[in-house]
Formats: sequence, structure tokens, C-alpha cells
Amino acid sequence: MKLTRVAAVAALGLVAHASVARAYDPATTHAGLTERAALASQLHRVLARALSRPLGLFEPVALSLDDLPRPQAQSLEARLAALDPSAGASVGPDGVAPALAWVIAGSVIASTPAERGQDYFYDPARGSGLSNSGGVASLGNTLGLLLDAGGGFRALFTGTQFNMTGRPSTEWLRSPENDVGLDAFHAGLEAAIVADRPQHRATALARALLALGGVLTILEDAGEPAHVRNDFRQTYLTPRGPSPFDRGSPFERYVSETYGRMGVPVVVTPVRRPTVTAFITAADGQGLADRTQRRFFSDGSLPDDAVVDRGTTAVEVMQDARGSLPYAYPRLPRLELKVMGKKYYARTKDKRRLLAYVRVPGRVRFFLDEGVYADTARTLLPEIAGYGAGLIDHLFRAEIRIDTTGEGALVSAVGAAGNIRKGEIRVFAEDASGLRRALTTVQPGSAGVRITVPAGTKKLGAVLRGEDDAGDFVAVGEAPVK
Amino acid sequence: MIEAAPFPVRPDSVRPADLLGPYDGIVLDADTDRPIAGATVAAAWAFESGIGFHAPAGAHEFVTETGADGRYVVPKLADLPGGASMRVRRFTLIVYHRGHIAWRSDRLFPGREARRDFSQRGSRVRLERWQSALRHAEHVVFLGGGARVRTVAAWELQAAALELEGQQVPAAAAGAGEASAPAAATTAVPLDIAKLLSDDEIRGVTGYVGKFEDGKLADLPTTEFYDSRHFKAAGKAESYDVGLRVWRLGTAAAEVQFRKLMSTLPEAKTTDEVGDASFRARSGGIAALVYLVRERGVVVSMTCGGSQCTEPGQLVKLAKLVESRLPELPPETSRAEPAAKPEETP
Repeated sequence: MKLTRVAAVAALGLVAHASVARAYDPATTHAGLTERAALASQLHRVLARALSRPLGLFEPVALSLDDLPRPQAQSLEARLAALDPSAGASVGPDGVAPALAWVIAGSVIASTPAERGQDYFYDPARGSGLSNSGGVASLGNTLGLLLDAGGGFRALFTGTQFNMTGRPSTEWLRSPENDVGLDAFHAGLEAAIVADRPQHRATALARALLALGGVLTILEDAGEPAHVRNDFRQTYLTPRGPSPFDRGSPFERYVSETYGRMGVPVVVTPVRRPTVTAFITAADGQGLADRTQRRFFSDGSLPDDAVVDRGTTAVEVMQDARGSLPYAYPRLPRLELKVMGKKYYARTKDKRRLLAYVRVPGRVRFFLDEGVYADTARTLLPEIAGYGAGLIDHLFRAEIRIDTTGEGALVSAVGAAGNIRKGEIRVFAEDASGLRRALTTVQPGSAGVRITVPAGTKKLGAVLRGEDDAGDFVAVGEAPVK
Repeated sequence: MIEAAPFPVRPDSVRPADLLGPYDGIVLDADTDRPIAGATVAAAWAFESGIGFHAPAGAHEFVTETGADGRYVVPKLADLPGGASMRVRRFTLIVYHRGHIAWRSDRLFPGREARRDFSQRGSRVRLERWQSALRHAEHVVFLGGGARVRTVAAWELQAAALELEGQQVPAAAAGAGEASAPAAATTAVPLDIAKLLSDDEIRGVTGYVGKFEDGKLADLPTTEFYDSRHFKAAGKAESYDVGLRVWRLGTAAAEVQFRKLMSTLPEAKTTDEVGDASFRARSGGIAALVYLVRERGVVVSMTCGGSQCTEPGQLVKLAKLVESRLPELPPETSRAEPAAKPEETP
């Protein structure tokens, strides 16, 4: 890949079309969360054992852009060229990067090009994505920003057709348009076994790993309060400095600067959920978006300022504040209003700072500050990485086991959730040159099916694209022939 | 826009640095305070664009090596990207030298705390010696860096993969979704292959009557994963010498090492004479037989000069003799033991 050339092209292109979209900072927070999730998951073992990549997460994997359709190759090349080499996710000029780097790269490029960011929101209370319906207050804010910035949103922010609405992230996750989504992951993983030549299989594996990173990014954004509370305008368009172009989420900025890529929590416990979607949202309320929405405020979904006069009681202020909340949770705890000008924190039962407030003449102002951000990040980041690790394990839950014995092999599918309802195991024989040909198909089952291995076979590969109680899956397996 | 640098211009200054550079400093051994020559220094600027949301919008990397005096110079970033929302977001310096802990300008290893001692000019980069209790897997991930940095650190990958392999609980046994067990510390007990082959056994196979001066092959140091023997024929030419190398890497990494040797040694031809897979190679008058023993995760390279091994079968006999002795290698239990005193590894 001529990444140097493309880096320049990419930079120029992005200058002309300033980007919108992303939640947690891609190059630091998303990269770090994805890295932690991958290391805490079974991905290393899957790569080393089931995919014959002995170095696992550290295995160099080569992506050949020549194997991809030209427009797709150009888009991917430009997005990869924009990555910061110091983060360890950049791709060498020969198209080679370690498996772990591909996953991290996928999580970073998931939000490019710009217009993609609008599809990374999910409001579990309404089952919707980013919505522009914000009432009069939002309209005022919008107009203010337009005047402030001296131009229209579309031209200013993206050069695209971003209208502050988007698909739910749960939909984008499975969209065929998403080249680093679930479809791309399944297709890449399948091709990593099925493709005839080693180069094609390596490219397919790199694409599957990129897509895995993209899928993780969608999940990680479900752990960003603004992204699950339909809060784009207030959080992301608030000025941060004198320049009208200097706007962004103060919380995400805080997380990025405090934790960077490597400061995100090291201890990660994978979370188990029954389906892919259930990692984001589910009826049991234990999806990451569900948990984030009901436990955290975002800058744009706080109580409105409450009016206070001589006769106003604390109870009345609380009632007013609660009545102005766009979501039922988190609940606003009891407020302390005695001292004018003093900053108080409303805390959860476990003493986490939920929001800050201060009584000023005539009103009570609610806001989030770095103390709240610190507690929020400390609580959320390990949880996000745990959900990420669990999702990786979920996606690789099933595996094809190949036991080679003498002139035959025993092929079985293991690890599926409940019964396998769809699909068959396709087995491929690889010769000494690495060329792979279809050998046979067998019905999936944990008991195993014995097959005959033709002379000259050096390796067997098998894939099952099926469905079990947890939904769609792709199971893979490879084994050398002794 | 150029972000404010989170580090000062000089070690004794509180004035913020110019993120664009230039940068300079000296790389020192933390124990001796002596300059380290040949350390890889990788500098990277990251650009971002966007209003509201921000996205990576390019990067510039500059890679150099420290000179004999340990000094490095990174020139000022000359080509600034344009655009209303474009910003120079970060500058990161990475210093890598084998045998030392990698150094980053933003974070410390292994604790990952924020670094506070980096400055734009006159920075003193003190590299701590590598300690056997540290984990290569975490180290490689910490290191980051582009293709050049990855190349110089590639030797760590096998150890890193092994560490992760030992850490994983098989899904079938533990069930997916369980937390990984904590990693075992490595103790770096060096591999010792002295018992695998003796002078007399060589003589018995080849009929040679002269003496051998036993030592190690000098190109690679002995580690917990690798050891060598050099049976140097006393007073004779190199063509009478016998060499033995053994890598004990674990199943996965041994496969990689075997493939790597096969792709790099001259005139490599698959023979499948010994072990689970083997090949022969030749350079000048020296013949090599390399084989893989999967079950043990071992790769063996047996070399013999043409004047010592006058028939191809002699090399096979020596190789098989070594293979039969592999069970006598000390077990790898050291990897599960608590860390001994810190020890440098290559």
C-alpha cells in the first residue's frame, strides 16, 4: 500500500470536509477500550488455535488492497493512512499489521467518513437513534450556533447531508453499508477460511478484524451518556474556546486527556449476554446502553435551571428539576440549597458524583464538572471494556474442531449456544502451496463426522455460517494434517 | 489550531513546549547514566479535524536512531495540514532499545501512569533495564509505534504470544465470558541444552577422531527460549564443526520459528526426516537439518560441516539423537514460579 501518498491525500480531503461524528475520542479512548477488550477476551486463543495464526494477537496479517474493489480499497487506504503511528494501530507500507492492530484500527476508522457518526447513537428509552426533535430550546440553541459559527450546519460541520438525525446504532451495526459492521465481520471471517489463496485469506482475516473493531466501537458508544441520551447539540456543539471551530464534548475530552489510550483500566471482566443486541440493549435492562442511560447524565440532558425566590422550598426546586428531566433516570436525589454560591454534588447511593449544582441569585444551576466526569469515567470505562471483551467472546463462541488421525479427520462444531438451526460445515483441503479447495460438507454436531483426507493435504480448514439460540454466527477451525 | 503541549519546553522550565518541535534529548541507561547508542527514536504528530466531534485526520512520523553520544534530534514539523477545523492534536516520542524497557513520552511502563518528565528540548530519556518479571505482551502493547518500531521489537512477539497463550483459559473448559486468570511471572531461567549432544556421540556417528572445543554459537544469546552449542573442531577448519540450536517456544510460536527459518535459510528443501516436519538447507560446505517437534513446542537446527558429516545420513543420525534427548530438557516450570531477582533479557 502506498500509505504515505494516501496520507497526504487523506489529510487534504479531510481539510475540505471537516468531520462530524464519533463519540469517545477514537485515537485514544476507543483504541484503548478496544485494546483492553481484545486482550481480556479469547481472541488470542481463537487466532492461535482455530485460525492457525500462532502468534495470535501479535501475528502479522497482511491486507492486500488489490484484493478489494477499487472504491472500497481507496476508502480504506485513506482511512488507515490517517491513523497515529504512536498508537500502534497503523499499517505498514506493505499492508502488514499485527492482528491486534487491525482490531484497534477498525475501532478508530469506524467513525470515518464523517457522516457515519450520526448512526452511533441509541436511545434505549425510545428505541431510536439521534433525533433532531429538541423543542424550542434546541431550536434556539441551533440558531445561536448558526449565527455563532457564521454558516449552515451542513456546510460547516461535514460538507455532507448531516441533519442531526441518524439510524439507531443497533441498526447501523447490521447495516450492509457498514464496512466495519457485523455483516462485514461475518463475511471476512468466512472468507478467511474459504478463500483459495493464502493472500486472499489473509486479506479477509484483516477485514474481519477491522470489522470486529468497528462493531466494538458501536458497543463502546453505548457506554457514552450523550450517545444514549440523544444529546448531540448541547454536548458536542458547546464552544470550548474562542474559535468557533473549537467545539466538542467536554466529557470525552476529559476522558481522552486523563486516560489516553493506555490509561484505560487494565482489569477487565468479560460480560456475558445472550445475543449481540443484548450487549447494547435488552428487555432485562442490562444492555450497556440501558445501564448507561439510567445511571448517568450527559451535559445536554440535565435538569433545567430551577427558579428560586424567597418562598421557594428545596422540595419545590427538586420537583421542578425532576419535571424538566428528559429521562426518568437517573433520579435526582435530595438537594442542598442553604448556601448561596457553594457548589454541591448530587450523589448516588454508592457516593458517585452524579451532577453538580450551585444556587445563584434567583435560580439553581445544574451542570457536570471534572469531578463528575472523573467518577463517570471511573465507573464506565471498565464496564465498557468488559462488555467489549464479552462481545468478542460471544462472536467467537462456536468453533469447528478438526482432529486429524491417520488418513481421516473428525470434524465437529463446538461451543454454539443451544441448537444449531441453520448451516452446514464446509471443509476445505489445503495443499503444500497453500491453495485451498472445497473438500466436503458435513452436518454440524458436537459428536463429529469422520471425513477422508486426500493425499497431499497439508492442512484442513472448515467454516460454518449458521444460527444458534444466540443468533447468527460464523465458526471456523483449521488443523495441520500430520 | 495547535493544541497546547502537555509538557514543558525544557526540563527546568514551566513554559509549555511548542508541539511542532523541534525536539532533542539524550537517551541514557538508567543504571549507569551512560549514553545508549543505536536506540530507535520514533516521533509522531497526530492531526485531527472536526467541530463537535473530532476524527483522526492524518499523522506524520519521523524515525531516527541515537548517535554514539546517545543524542537524538527531531526536526520541527514543517508541513502543517490546513483547514478551519484541523488541529495538531498530539506529539508522542517513543524510544526503544533491546534489553531496556520501552519509553514513551506520554505514559510509563508497566504502571501506565502519566509521564511528567518529558520536555521538548534537552530531555533526558532514562531507559530502565528489562526485568524478567515484566511481561512482553503488555510491553509490546504499551510500545505502540509504526512499522519501524514494530520491526525492531519483533523479537518480543514470540514471548508475548506465549505469555498470552499461558494466560488463556480454554473456552471449552471454562466457558466463554469468564475472566482471564492473572498472568504468571517469568523467571528467565536460561534454557540449557548441554545434555542433548556430546563430543563422543558426534565422534560415534561421524568417525571423527579429533578433539572438540565446546562452547556456544555467538550470534544469539542464550535466553529462557533459546540455547546453542558449538562443537568447534580443535585446530581444524570450520568444515569440521558441528552446531546445535534449540528454540523451546511453545506450540504456536515454534511453528512460526520453523516457518521463519525455512523461509530465510539458503536452499531450504522440505525433507520430513525428523520430528513432525523438517527441512534441509545448505550454505557453502555447511549442511543444516532443521526440524519441528510440535508436542514439545521445540525447533532444532543441527548443522554440520562437510568434512565432519561426509554422508547425508550422519546429519539425520545426529538430529535424531538430539530428538531422543529432548525429554531430558529441564521442564518449563520456571514460568509459573514467582519472580526471582531481576535479570536482564536480550
